[in-house]
Amino acid sequence: MSAQVMKPNNYRNPLKPVWCPGCGDFGVVAALYRALAQLQLPPEKVAVLSGIGCSSRLPGYMATYGFNGVHGRALPVATGLKASRPDLTVIVAGGDGDGVSIGAGHFIHTARRNADITYVMMDNQIYGLTKGQVAPTTPAGDKTKSTLYGNPDPPVDPCELAIAAGATFVARTFSADMKGQVEILTQAIQHKGFSMVDIISPCVTFRGDGQYDFWKPKLRALPEGYDPSNRADAMRFCREEGVLTTGILFRNARPGLVEHQEQIRKASGYNPASPPKIEELVRTFYP
Amino acid sequence: MAVNDLVIGAVGRGGDGVVLSGELLMASAASQGLYGYMVQSYGPQIRGGESSFRARFSKVQVSSPGDFLDLLVVFDWGAYKMFKQELKPKENGFVLFDEENPAPEGDVLLSIVSQGRALAVPFAKLSKEAAGGLQGKNVVMLGVLCGLFGFDAAGVKAGIEKKFKKKSEDVASKNLAAFEAGLSYGEANSTYETQKMRLEYVPGRPPKLVLSGNEALALGALHAGCRFYAGYPITPSSEILEFMGKNMPKFGGSFIQAEDELASIGMILGASFGGTKAMTATSGPGFSLMAEMLGLGSMMEIPAVIVDVQRTGPSTGIPTKSEQSDLWQAVFGTHGDAPRVVLAPSDVEDCFHAAVDAFNIAEEYQLPVVILSDQLLAQRKVTLPPLPLDKPVSNRRQPEEKDLADGYSRYRLGGPDGVSPMAVPGDPRAIYQTTGLEHNEKGEPTSSFELHEEMNEKRYKKLKAIAERYHYVRHYGPQGAEIGILAWGSSKGAIKEAVTNANALGRKVAAFIPELLYPFPKRELESFIKPLKRIIILELSYSAQFYKYLRTFLELPEERVLLKKRSGGTFLGVAEVESAIEEAFK
Repeated sequence: MSAQVMKPNNYRNPLKPVWCPGCGDFGVVAALYRALAQLQLPPEKVAVLSGIGCSSRLPGYMATYGFNGVHGRALPVATGLKASRPDLTVIVAGGDGDGVSIGAGHFIHTARRNADITYVMMDNQIYGLTKGQVAPTTPAGDKTKSTLYGNPDPPVDPCELAIAAGATFVARTFSADMKGQVEILTQAIQHKGFSMVDIISPCVTFRGDGQYDFWKPKLRALPEGYDPSNRADAMRFCREEGVLTTGILFRNARPGLVEHQEQIRKASGYNPASPPKIEELVRTFYP
Repeated sequence: MAVNDLVIGAVGRGGDGVVLSGELLMASAASQGLYGYMVQSYGPQIRGGESSFRARFSKVQVSSPGDFLDLLVVFDWGAYKMFKQELKPKENGFVLFDEENPAPEGDVLLSIVSQGRALAVPFAKLSKEAAGGLQGKNVVMLGVLCGLFGFDAAGVKAGIEKKFKKKSEDVASKNLAAFEAGLSYGEANSTYETQKMRLEYVPGRPPKLVLSGNEALALGALHAGCRFYAGYPITPSSEILEFMGKNMPKFGGSFIQAEDELASIGMILGASFGGTKAMTATSGPGFSLMAEMLGLGSMMEIPAVIVDVQRTGPSTGIPTKSEQSDLWQAVFGTHGDAPRVVLAPSDVEDCFHAAVDAFNIAEEYQLPVVILSDQLLAQRKVTLPPLPLDKPVSNRRQPEEKDLADGYSRYRLGGPDGVSPMAVPGDPRAIYQTTGLEHNEKGEPTSSFELHEEMNEKRYKKLKAIAERYHYVRHYGPQGAEIGILAWGSSKGAIKEAVTNANALGRKVAAFIPELLYPFPKRELESFIKPLKRIIILELSYSAQFYKYLRTFLELPEERVLLKKRSGGTFLGVAEVESAIEEAFK
């Protein structure tokens, strides 16, 4: 298998997606195929995990190992997998409700642990699978099926949250921007540590088919010479009024989950050349 | 003259070092190859509150902490008030207290022990003289016990050295001095009556292990090949978390303290999906949080071991006390039809076995296995003969060439036991995507009723196979008994003792303790209850979860059943079981 040159299609599962025509998620999964092909990662060494939501169906459309679990809990599952199998490339895909509502606690702690996982958040600002209720990312005032009189609460910004929680790679892009997505996803997957990519992925069914026209004029690239290691600058670009800044907002380097597990093993005296025997441990329980 | 069964308790305030003294007695007994059994209790304060221990020693195996005390040491009468229900001396027992902290006027406790058996001892004074402070009181007490009642002083001294040399030579020598002071005092004041309480030792016995149920369970997991642990602290399971935090890295595994129990079970499913044997441990509240993903493990057919160390509930309940009220949530908890296996060890040694068996069943049948332990089982310490470290270990079936002939199907139907080979990520021949959605043989989502029925059947077939293959039952008493007791978990200790006592008196009583609770051991139970005149059901659950659980599967002849159920919060006593037996014979 190693001699074969991998093409985007080698990562594609022939299963037909359940997504609506025009859904932004088609663009995301296509970009993911391309990013993996660009990196020439063997499909058997890639695992894509998810929770619940429209976008969480994504692992089923991959020709890699896949795990479509329960709502909001993909990141702990991925953490367990990555900690025990650092040789695998672990990618989590899911929606904004999955990530910053029901799974918000895990989002913070996975970022804090700097688990070497790439988190692709398909952000559509609505609950699509359950047909149109308010999401944690829906702008205040918006009317949805569960906020008939307008959303009373301000939205969560996933990038801002990720940076605050300690993620070491935070980027934003748009599902209709293939080139931008592939570039960012490729770098995110290569990044050692927790990388979060917030992809604005329009829901044309429940946010209206004017979504692409709504977002396109708002897209801005980060300025020339932008330094993504500056946390304060990154935070500022997260929340600009009327503008959606795309690109790698924040990036730094620090040891994470995998390195920490190795350090802890070393500190405990573990030596792979002569692993301890259970008999030796039992002996310590004699008086 | 010596006794072969001695129960001792001690109670004090924070700083009295009561629990440590119990541990040193246990270490001493273990070094002489004696059997020991110790439980501890703490007041509600986080630190510095009241604490007590109760320990029982014998040359033969002891299975309960004993109902009444032969010796009681009270450092503080206020603290004693908190634990007086748990620490009742025998009428001919001895009560030792500090002469500087005399018993309150008209104390009921001292009036029940006979004349001359309430001894005022200068614990504090001796500690100040020998160790320069009060911190040696507990060790003085051990010296006094050795002197008065003939406990093995060499073993206690070895324990003191081992314990305190870690701190410093100075601390060790001060404590040894305190011990010697107590020993001299005890020897000088020993009488014919105190020497009658001397514990019987058997020369030349090999030393025994000292383990708690939580430790035995964690050792079993490591032996079984568990190399991933994730957990969240919760009483009374936290010792497993701490044990794994210390030892898992030494074995090359991974340990993560998760952000909550939802994450704990998620992490172990992720690790196991990746081919690593994984476990989490919690107590009732945490297990409730795990319910959703227990179902995910069942649906995705992922091996996983989940330990629920029960405490009293509902809600926060009494976190430091045992109960048997998580049975239903272990067997039935979570939505949908979600097969899992439930094992219930009934003593500390069985905690080791249950962990290995749980991993073996989980791996062989690819499903979650729950171990239902409880506080009395998990946190008590006992002395044990060597663990069976040659116990066989199973691993999951991975796809072979024949399974790949016409493409790999993760959930292939048609196997005799519902098991289909499970590939490990990294295998290029058998890439698959799993899902909590109902799925076809390939793992692809489906809404088909027919497939849902077939897949349910596949998943439940495993339980049938497990019930046929595994028979974990503890059976006590003679064949042809007239009275039979049905119970589970840590209650076994008192029941075993009561059954032995009853048969010694000519009462034909037997007990049946299932340790594989689910799948339900129907055949074994039916043949046990068939010849019985009376069936006693004993459990620590106010709503009688075990009794109702039995009735789910068994036709229980109501007129022959004597149900004895009550809340947990205090463990089942031998006398309680004996009175149930008496009632059944009436």
